[in-house]
Amino acid sequence: MLLPDLGFCLMAMIQMSVVTDSPVHSSGSDDFIDYLNEALDASSPNSSSDEEAENQDEFEDLSRNKRRKLESTEETEGSTSEGIVEQKLVVAESSVVKVDGCTHPGTFGKLCISCGEILDGESGVTFGYIHKGLRLHEEEISRLRNTEMNTFLFSKKLFLVLDLDHTLLNTTILGQLSSEELHLLNETDSLEDVAKGSLFKLEHMHMMTKLRPFVRTFLKEASAMFEMYIYTMGDRPYALEMAKLLDPQGEYFNAKVISRDDGTQKHQKGLDVVLGRDSAVLILDDTEHAWMKHKNNLILMERYHFFASSCRQFGFNCKSLAETKSDENETDGALAKILEVLKQVHCTFFEKLQGDLVDRDVRQVLSSVRGEILSGCVIIFSRINHLALPTLKRIAEQLGATCLTELDPTVTHVVATDAGTEKARWAVKEKKCLVHPRWIEAANYFWEKQPEENFFIKKTTTQS
Amino acid sequence: MQLHPRYFGRNLRDNLVSKLMKDVEGTCSGRHGFVVAVTGIENIGKGLIRDGTGFVTFPVKYQCVVFRPFKGEILEAVVTMVNKMGFFAEAGPVQIFVSNHLIPDDMEFQSGDMPNYTTSDGSVKIQKDSEVRLKIIGTRVDATEIFCIGTIKDDFLGVINDPTTV
Repeated sequence: MLLPDLGFCLMAMIQMSVVTDSPVHSSGSDDFIDYLNEALDASSPNSSSDEEAENQDEFEDLSRNKRRKLESTEETEGSTSEGIVEQKLVVAESSVVKVDGCTHPGTFGKLCISCGEILDGESGVTFGYIHKGLRLHEEEISRLRNTEMNTFLFSKKLFLVLDLDHTLLNTTILGQLSSEELHLLNETDSLEDVAKGSLFKLEHMHMMTKLRPFVRTFLKEASAMFEMYIYTMGDRPYALEMAKLLDPQGEYFNAKVISRDDGTQKHQKGLDVVLGRDSAVLILDDTEHAWMKHKNNLILMERYHFFASSCRQFGFNCKSLAETKSDENETDGALAKILEVLKQVHCTFFEKLQGDLVDRDVRQVLSSVRGEILSGCVIIFSRINHLALPTLKRIAEQLGATCLTELDPTVTHVVATDAGTEKARWAVKEKKCLVHPRWIEAANYFWEKQPEENFFIKKTTTQS
Repeated sequence: MQLHPRYFGRNLRDNLVSKLMKDVEGTCSGRHGFVVAVTGIENIGKGLIRDGTGFVTFPVKYQCVVFRPFKGEILEAVVTMVNKMGFFAEAGPVQIFVSNHLIPDDMEFQSGDMPNYTTSDGSVKIQKDSEVRLKIIGTRVDATEIFCIGTIKDDFLGVINDPTTV
């Protein structure tokens, strides 16, 4: 800490009686302080607030000019965004007369960051993950989002929001390790050289974490195409610890670790705390219902269950990866496959889409890439659980398949859980593919049509 | 100052003083600001035994150095974080934020490994660990912290020149 020159400190001979604690907010009711305040106010910006308003406008003019220069290469979109900027300035100017010359773009510790006034309002969004006490209001957030867009599109980068648990890693509490997993306690990697390890014991948090295979390569390659954020439902200390394991050099996630303490809604994740426009953000998460408002940006990940506690949490009775001393395949696992998808989406966005960069929407690219997976397949469902059917149908249609309800010569696949149904027998007779619903789910997770042979159902066996 | 009976005895006064220093140094109050250090004890009054517990309460009068930033004050601070919204600096226990609205227009944000604000000719650079002279334009005291907003847009404010560079 750099202690300022004592000349600037107040050497106050203060008589303080500690018996009565009196927490008083900065009210300046003390004579001494009042006197000083008056003396300083005489030369403070308060008296020249008009000048400040002018300066403010000049500044905004200049920044508008700067933006014009940046946007000269993208002329059509430049004019529309200038139109927006001009409108905002008009609004700001009219409110300038009322609001003491300041548009209050945000607050730090409840003080306006532009004029220093104390603002008690709750408007805007808290950005505590960037720095404690920071809060930005809507206009400023939009302005920042737009400038961010330009910078990143210029460098051909989109935004990627990554979930932690079951997506990039799997964590368990030390006390919940099963007997067959206890051997892991001796196999943990050193915390000194994090970049080389994947299994870590965090004593102070009583946890053990296993990073998903391929995660380091994934992060390295994705960082060249995306500006990455971590968004987890864990609390902030946990999130920061995991970020240190994944990113020891702080090159990927510096000041971009969002935890549940930073979200605006309970149990829901949102893109309102991400400084990037919705049309340029992709999300990687294993839980769909956490992103109700942004389903179109979401790439659903297959869950990573390394520890038994994780399997049990989701109701699986099988042995965990740790218990069987095996692990997901590095080069053929979920992360590797999703990396290919990300590369494809990125390439399509920047190379193949027409029109101005700012108008392109990554969600459209995502749905078109998804729509190619099962394109050409014509599917009929047979004896699927009533509750599961609508979801399954929706997934199949998103993947590009056509779903029919009546048997038809164009049908290519019959999806059933029982080989004895009428439709199933028809499929076998007509030499159509008879597959289990898992075939559709697998296509959804792997972004690739899976070989039907792996999902055939036998006539007499119950569903696998 | 409340004291547990275990401290009674020969060293009562010393215990009281050290407990006072431990409790009060580093705290913040709205009226006085941040207590930096206790400089002297003026008077320790008679202790009053609390009903129901064995704790004894002593009224203590002491002198201390306090730090309180004022609006309009010029301070030197060390930059702790730089981002596109501005930069954060600290001057002792005080956290100051200088938003990019209050950074001169000729300084642009450069992102990268060491994000910084640089003038167009590259002559002046503000990055983490730089020392800057700034003017406080607003302060607010919380229970344990003091928040300030600063500006470097006025004359003679900005990076404090490093004598080794020209």
